[in-house]
Amino acid sequence: MKRHPVLLVAASVIATVIGVQTLGCGAARSARSIAAEQVYVPPGELDKYYGFLSGGQSGSVFVIGVPSGRLIREIPVFEPRAAYGYALLESDPRRQLLESTGGLWGDTHHPMLSEKGGIFDGRYLWINDLANGRLARIRLDRFEADRIIKLPNLQGAHGIAVVSPDTKYVVVNGEFEQPTDGMVTNPAPYTSVVAFVDPESMEVKFEVRVNGNIDIADTSKDGRYAFSTVYNLEQGKDMGSMIQYDRDAVAAIDIPAAEAAVAAGKGEVRNGVPILDPAEVTGILTLIPVPKNPHGVNATPDGRYVIASGKLSPTVTIIDAHTLQIVAEPEVGLGPLHTTFDNRGNAYTSLFLDSQVVKWNIDKAVAGADDYIVDRINVHYNIGHLQAVGGDSMKPAGNYLLALNKLSKDQYLPVGPDLPENQEIIDISGEKMKMLAAFPTPPEPHDATFLEASVLEPIVQQVYTPGEDAVVAGQESVVRTGPGSVQVNMTLLRSAYTPDSFEVREGDEVTLKITNVETIRDMIHGFALPDHGFNMALPPGDTQVRTFKAGKPGVYWFYCTNFCSALHLEMRGRMVVQPKDSVITLTDWHSGANVAGQVVPGVPSTGASQ
Amino acid sequence: MRVRVLYLIAAAATAAAIALPLWGFTMSAPQYPDESLHLQVGRTGISGDLHEVEALQKYIGVRFPTELPELRPATFGMAALAGLLLLAALTGPGRFGRAYRALCAVLFVLFLGASAVVVQTRLYTVGHDRDPNAPLRAIADFTPPLVGPVKVGNFTVWSFPHAGGVLLLAGSILSVAGLFVKPAGGTEAAAARRLSRKDAA
Repeated sequence: MKRHPVLLVAASVIATVIGVQTLGCGAARSARSIAAEQVYVPPGELDKYYGFLSGGQSGSVFVIGVPSGRLIREIPVFEPRAAYGYALLESDPRRQLLESTGGLWGDTHHPMLSEKGGIFDGRYLWINDLANGRLARIRLDRFEADRIIKLPNLQGAHGIAVVSPDTKYVVVNGEFEQPTDGMVTNPAPYTSVVAFVDPESMEVKFEVRVNGNIDIADTSKDGRYAFSTVYNLEQGKDMGSMIQYDRDAVAAIDIPAAEAAVAAGKGEVRNGVPILDPAEVTGILTLIPVPKNPHGVNATPDGRYVIASGKLSPTVTIIDAHTLQIVAEPEVGLGPLHTTFDNRGNAYTSLFLDSQVVKWNIDKAVAGADDYIVDRINVHYNIGHLQAVGGDSMKPAGNYLLALNKLSKDQYLPVGPDLPENQEIIDISGEKMKMLAAFPTPPEPHDATFLEASVLEPIVQQVYTPGEDAVVAGQESVVRTGPGSVQVNMTLLRSAYTPDSFEVREGDEVTLKITNVETIRDMIHGFALPDHGFNMALPPGDTQVRTFKAGKPGVYWFYCTNFCSALHLEMRGRMVVQPKDSVITLTDWHSGANVAGQVVPGVPSTGASQ
Repeated sequence: MRVRVLYLIAAAATAAAIALPLWGFTMSAPQYPDESLHLQVGRTGISGDLHEVEALQKYIGVRFPTELPELRPATFGMAALAGLLLLAALTGPGRFGRAYRALCAVLFVLFLGASAVVVQTRLYTVGHDRDPNAPLRAIADFTPPLVGPVKVGNFTVWSFPHAGGVLLLAGSILSVAGLFVKPAGGTEAAAARRLSRKDAA
């Protein structure tokens, strides 16, 4: 057999190409599976970290698992959420609190964990409402907002920070200027304030006046200074006039000096809070000049430096956290916004315009070395905040980094023009950063923070212990408390409402006090009342009280909204509304067995007639 | 001497059993991860995760007994056995002593046997005397064994002797074992002492 040399050459070329192709694919596949394994948490296994992402204009906090990125819970804070029965009804004290402090909506930006010794202790998470100048505290034993305050004398509660190392205050930056003298139209005396909030009482202890717009906050690790980036030192009222100066500032507020001034009775008290004016009280405020309109400010975990991100300048400004001197201003890329840290002396800065995370070495940058840039990785797209696990504490983990991207463009199946936000998990354990996984979220996480799961393990509750105000099983009742009011004291237990019916008159003010008497975890019962805008969700052991006006005459079937048991669909009961002028002669709920074995007495509610 | 210690231990174990849970039940199901339900039966009745078990049992029409009148005679029986065993520790190696100890062992074994019958009957009733109108129809009648598992719907129910039950078993074994151990007091001196006492009498 005679072989043609050209054929042989062609065959070997094809073989080589196929070989390269196959090997290449193999390599790509294995890189994928390695990445997948790093974020894969099998069903039934738990993530290593909690991730708290602000919900932005959702007014909430998203809780995810890291590294899986699985959404575990949304904590509603500034917006009612019917699914959790949160702030839905007018009689819900949480709704009343929201209404009295700025409305039923909020814009959450920066979740901040309480610290002890510079490490997150898992007690509280604070979250701001930029839109309405509020601060909320979330108890991490219940994952529930327990305090919401309106911050006096400021608008646009933007940057917040916990004063390291032991949470002496929560610092809240007022971004939008406010008139100082009650005049609304003359912009000249507009200023902003930084508020210092007591973490336990949630009282604003004092405020410090700063000219310009106060943006992002952090504190020195020793608790001496509260740092804020400040833009618009020009105090312009439109965009053109806000970017005139070449440099704006990082404001460093000397906390002990400010406390001493407050103790000495200095400062003008407005709305119950002393406001210190640095023009009158010297030594409390140092303005450190940084390139104009800076954005993020982040203290390094070792407490040596604080780093301001240039935003409009391609630089970060490295400031000595003790002397407040600028020690370096290295270029990192276009649109630097925020910086986070690993445990090996590296900083990671988000580059909004470059759509990148840049990793750079702090010591090298301070020493003026040329090779301070270690690595860059593309993110998708227009990254805002970024946060490494523990990067905002004194003990960074150096393993995972979350890139919180503003635009997702082509990253997910198209869902019409309103696209989700894109969160990307990046491995920072090696020299080179590696993209591991991405997940979409509703609008719009700004910032995130992470907490080791083991910290919350002894703290987090799964079943509440009924309090003294709880309705006790066997002591349920329907009581007519007046000519136009009825109180129903009810218990919930699989799969029944006790009482399972009650009778009222149109327009009656019905007070419903419900205790879920379940004792095992995840046995949540709902209470939905048709045509009354009514849903409640009661975790096991919880007691809630709601009041509403009985609607038009008729029969209203209330039912359980949280699927609970094999008889979930049967878990319902009736509210019978009689006409206004009727005399109720029936007992409100029938006596006898409502479920096998459970006998409940009938209780009339006709004590007071018209 | 050794026999006396043995009976003292048996008496103490039997007395202690009165204060401890006698029998236990563990119920596990897929939706109760790391949180199996536990019930104990002791002198005062049934305790443990009663609230949850009561919430569940109505689905299959089980009526877990809330009152156990037989616990009173059982407690009395245990106290009596403990007293008898205490006396057994004082008995001598002679014929009367041996007969007395044999009686104790027989009574103890009879007591355990009778208890087992009563408990097993109870367990049978729990699994058979059920509410015919119970919502879940898929569960067939069942009999939990005295010791071991039974499958009831999505639950596996394990029955086992609890601390008190184990002590009772130990007490009965000791009281039987005592019959086969040579009395340690059988040294010549002790025998002589006894003999002299007998003579005096």
